[in-house]
Amino acid sequence: MTDTQPRATRRMIQMADAIMNRLYGWRSNPLHQSGTIAVAMLLVLLATGLYLVLVYRVGSPAASVAALAADPWLGGWIRTLHRYASDIFVVAAVIHSFRLWAQRRTWGTRSLAWVSGLSLFGLGLACAWTGFVMAWDSFGYRLAVAGGRLFDVLPILSEPVSRIFAGDAPVPSAFFFVNLFLHIALPLAMGIGLWLHVSRVARPVLLPPKPLLWGTVIALTVLSVLWPAPLGPGADPLILTTDTPINLVTSWWLPLVERWPPGVTWALLSVLGIGLMAVPRLTRQPRMGEHAPSVVDPALCTGCDQCPQDCPWDAITMVPRTDDRPNLVALVDPARCVSCGICAGSCAPMGVGPGGRTGRDQLALLRSITFPRFREQPRTVLICCSQTPADHQRALESRGALLHPVSCVGNLHSSVVELLIRGGARAVMIGGCPPRDCLGREGPRWLHERLFEEREAELQARVDRRLVRTMTLAPGALAEALAEWDRFQAEVETIDSAPQNSPDSMELMLECDPVDLGTGVTR
Amino acid sequence: MNHARRIAGLIGTAIMLGALAAASGPLVPHHAAGSAAMRLAFRARPERIEVCRTPTAEELARVAAHMRQEVICEGVAASYQLRLQVDDTVLIDRVVHGGGLRHDRPLQLELEHAVMPGPRRLQLSLVRREAAATDSVQLPTTSRVAGDTGIYAGRAVREVEERTRRDLAAIPARLSLDSTISFPVQRVILVTFDPDTRAWQIHGAEP
Repeated sequence: MTDTQPRATRRMIQMADAIMNRLYGWRSNPLHQSGTIAVAMLLVLLATGLYLVLVYRVGSPAASVAALAADPWLGGWIRTLHRYASDIFVVAAVIHSFRLWAQRRTWGTRSLAWVSGLSLFGLGLACAWTGFVMAWDSFGYRLAVAGGRLFDVLPILSEPVSRIFAGDAPVPSAFFFVNLFLHIALPLAMGIGLWLHVSRVARPVLLPPKPLLWGTVIALTVLSVLWPAPLGPGADPLILTTDTPINLVTSWWLPLVERWPPGVTWALLSVLGIGLMAVPRLTRQPRMGEHAPSVVDPALCTGCDQCPQDCPWDAITMVPRTDDRPNLVALVDPARCVSCGICAGSCAPMGVGPGGRTGRDQLALLRSITFPRFREQPRTVLICCSQTPADHQRALESRGALLHPVSCVGNLHSSVVELLIRGGARAVMIGGCPPRDCLGREGPRWLHERLFEEREAELQARVDRRLVRTMTLAPGALAEALAEWDRFQAEVETIDSAPQNSPDSMELMLECDPVDLGTGVTR
Repeated sequence: MNHARRIAGLIGTAIMLGALAAASGPLVPHHAAGSAAMRLAFRARPERIEVCRTPTAEELARVAAHMRQEVICEGVAASYQLRLQVDDTVLIDRVVHGGGLRHDRPLQLELEHAVMPGPRRLQLSLVRREAAATDSVQLPTTSRVAGDTGIYAGRAVREVEERTRRDLAAIPARLSLDSTISFPVQRVILVTFDPDTRAWQIHGAEP
């Protein structure tokens, strides 16, 4: 995979994000929440499905669904909500997987999430298929016939399924019972799939923020009342319908599959399936440079247990030491580490992180690149992550910001902020991605807590918090970012503070020299 | 979030929901208006073409008592020439076999062809391609083995019954239909094989 291709798709994502951020603000941008929206829709499907299954009759499927659709009080809109929720599930799942692929978040330990996510998507489509067949209208009939044709070329069943749709005898109730069974069993399998999907993620977030969650549910409910989903005429194998109301979201392929020989469909499906399943392999990154896994320096590790708590992928565990110190030592599992670098910001003694991004490396980089640039005139430093939109960087630079880019603000060690302030920076503004769109998952959250809420490795109390600020730099929200910057600059103007120290005279670490916790002796 | 943005958000939401609802059930053309179709769908067991002979006494002596057959038959499942003609147009003319690698499983067929509505002459035939063996011995209708007793008692009778049942379930050597049928607009005329009457059966035709 070339590097330009993901860059182009990432630009696409930024453009889409910019539109959504302008419409809803980054806190409620549904594109950042596509995965959790898909899960929320599964819950809506479950809730509405419980009602529908009580009303559905396998002995008279078309009549029972027609009665549901005709019920203006409950059945009509619940059936429609069930359908719209399935549509949103499919759309959200497609967006979710596209974003992860474009953001190169599909390799390493995330492979399981990718593969299980694809399986979830496939199960969801299969579930939608059985659901539409259950309705047994003209659309359900077409799906059943298409499905029968596809199944009949496989050497699974001794008798062809299609035969029961010929029209010489009523379709047996057993067929609808099997459909109903699958329609209930597949979501159960999806529950297992979802567990697998998030099994390698620490603190998985399964639902969108409440305003977005309830906003989506209420909007869909209103839509269901105002715009009921169509129901075609009851299936009759001996009638040639001219038009069928087709659900294009889940079944856009139906008119194509009806024309193609089943073998062609299976061949295309196989190629597509294998191609998608191979994405983790195709996007795999060499474990070096920016993708090198974190390493622990046992000599520096104090066994404080913070990095395992912060790691978004549960890649760090505490194990007994092999030397004579009594505490535990952190151990990184390279197979589960995705080089997000979150641990670098969590370690007070700067003893963990990917090569070149540990706290010590950050301080060294700061001294060599950024310090020489504001020696003469103190400026406010803007620390921003590599995902920050270029137009934001340019605009803030034109307002006097001295840019200090980092891979992710979640990697940022609080000592970097302290060193900047003590080294002569007028103030420090840190611009991160929207919290639900952080490539390191929890970067902005941990950063904020480390700077302002005493989370280990916290910004030392001696640093004037008035000179430090965090903000979100989201595509399409430049005006807000500039306003926040101007506000901060105005506040800084009113603060009478002088550089507290010179960077050259300051020790590399202020409180981070390794301490033997057993003896309390600084080594 | 200012007022204008809130309104833009509402409009954006309305557009997205409208697109969702529109994509959830648009009418997609399926069959052309004013069309009709002829569907041929059936499941039937192909006839077994066998050559039967009576084993010699030496042959019977060589096998264990429970394996001694009065008549030994060897053969293949029949194949058929299927021909469907509507008016002067031949829609189907091909060889069909039973299912399975040895083609001895039931023959399953489902074919559909567009037909102009209105009265049409329908000629349908399914003719066995293999000739019946002429040198085959007549299968016995009753057991003639004197020692048809003990735990194998009644085997010969059961064999006879099984052969009779199989012959009756099989497709006749020649199955044909020649009839003028009115094809209604937007409807399918279905032709199936009725195993009880062992003849073609028409569904959906106007009386």
